[in-house]
Amino acid sequence: MKALIVFCHPKPGSFNHAVLKTVSSELQEAGAEYRVADLYADGFTPILTRQEWECYEDTKENTCAIGEQVDNVLWCDTLIFVYPTWWFGPPAMLKGWLDRVLVPGVAFSMPTEDNPTFAKGLTHIKRIGLFTTCGASWLLTRYIGAPGKRTILRGVRALCHPHVKTAFAAHYKMDFSTPQSRAGHLARVQAKMRRLIGKPARERQSITQEQTA
Amino acid sequence: MEANGNRVMVIFAHPVPESFSSALHEGVVSTLTGQGWHVDDCDLYAENFQPILTTEERRGYHDQDTNQSPVQTYVDRLHAANALVFVFPVWNFGYPAILKGFFDRVFLPGVSFKLVDGHVRPALTHIQKVSVVTTYGGTRLRAIMCADPPRRLMTRPVRYVLGGARMKYLALYDMNRATHEKRASFLQRVTREMERF
Repeated sequence: MKALIVFCHPKPGSFNHAVLKTVSSELQEAGAEYRVADLYADGFTPILTRQEWECYEDTKENTCAIGEQVDNVLWCDTLIFVYPTWWFGPPAMLKGWLDRVLVPGVAFSMPTEDNPTFAKGLTHIKRIGLFTTCGASWLLTRYIGAPGKRTILRGVRALCHPHVKTAFAAHYKMDFSTPQSRAGHLARVQAKMRRLIGKPARERQSITQEQTA
Repeated sequence: MEANGNRVMVIFAHPVPESFSSALHEGVVSTLTGQGWHVDDCDLYAENFQPILTTEERRGYHDQDTNQSPVQTYVDRLHAANALVFVFPVWNFGYPAILKGFFDRVFLPGVSFKLVDGHVRPALTHIQKVSVVTTYGGTRLRAIMCADPPRRLMTRPVRYVLGGARMKYLALYDMNRATHEKRASFLQRVTREMERF
């Protein structure tokens, strides 16, 4: 299993960093290979430029500026997002990652005259995890229609493997969080991660351990 | 600055001047100007707007005395307007990052909403009307299947902080296969709406 964690939070020591730690230690424990794209720490630029727009449909040119990010997406079979929800969606930083990295030739093919759908390009991705924190309550988020969650768990998911497994956990009303609620959320993230990774990875790992022992 | 008369802020997000979005933007600005509106044309790409909310801004996010200072000019422009028009393409079922960053950084506590007895209340209530002009790559059906995040964001939370201002959401779907006629008729529709704005 090869996982890419796309992580987005500006403040070191934030609760999202604790979520990232939980996610990565679960992957480690399962013996999975994983990479972290820490967008703020890496100084990712979220603005899709004029030049990129002009070669957007040219699949040879459109990833020149961000080849490494694209390599990570093509390498992984599991895509995990960890980010705070701002204005009911991912931060501009992460939205820009979607804009610039998930381009034609990587994530989809453009529709044609005969075929109105976008052909899937991420069929190698079999698992998607989304772990976020929201200032709003569950009820308000539901009323608004959870646009951030749906951008990824419907929009991006539609480009992935047809039987893609998903995991989602959100800590709502983050501004009123308590040590207990935060610990509870981390436990939930851990449980969701275990379900997402599934047994096979663990069993395979224990088999290899037995073999090497 | 206080809102006075008929001042509209047009918030536009597209990197390419020859694009259809730019044509929509020009149509909006010129029609509104022709109708006697005082147009504050806020072209985020041209103004080199920085969409990244920084570590320092995150730290001071809830401090209403200081949180506006990094984006003061944009806050003042919002306060000076009494109508808004957003013009942008939908990318990956959301706003372009540069516009998402405008909400992240400018629609701050104390600017777009305020807390009254622990409850969120709208703070941009001087805005009387809003139009959203956008284009989708996907079809209408595809947008509905994804629960149409940009439409929901505009018609629910954004409209809420504007105090329930009158909102028109004008969208052209299936842009990639749109014929010249389809684009022209959408541009006409947008112009008509702006004449009535």
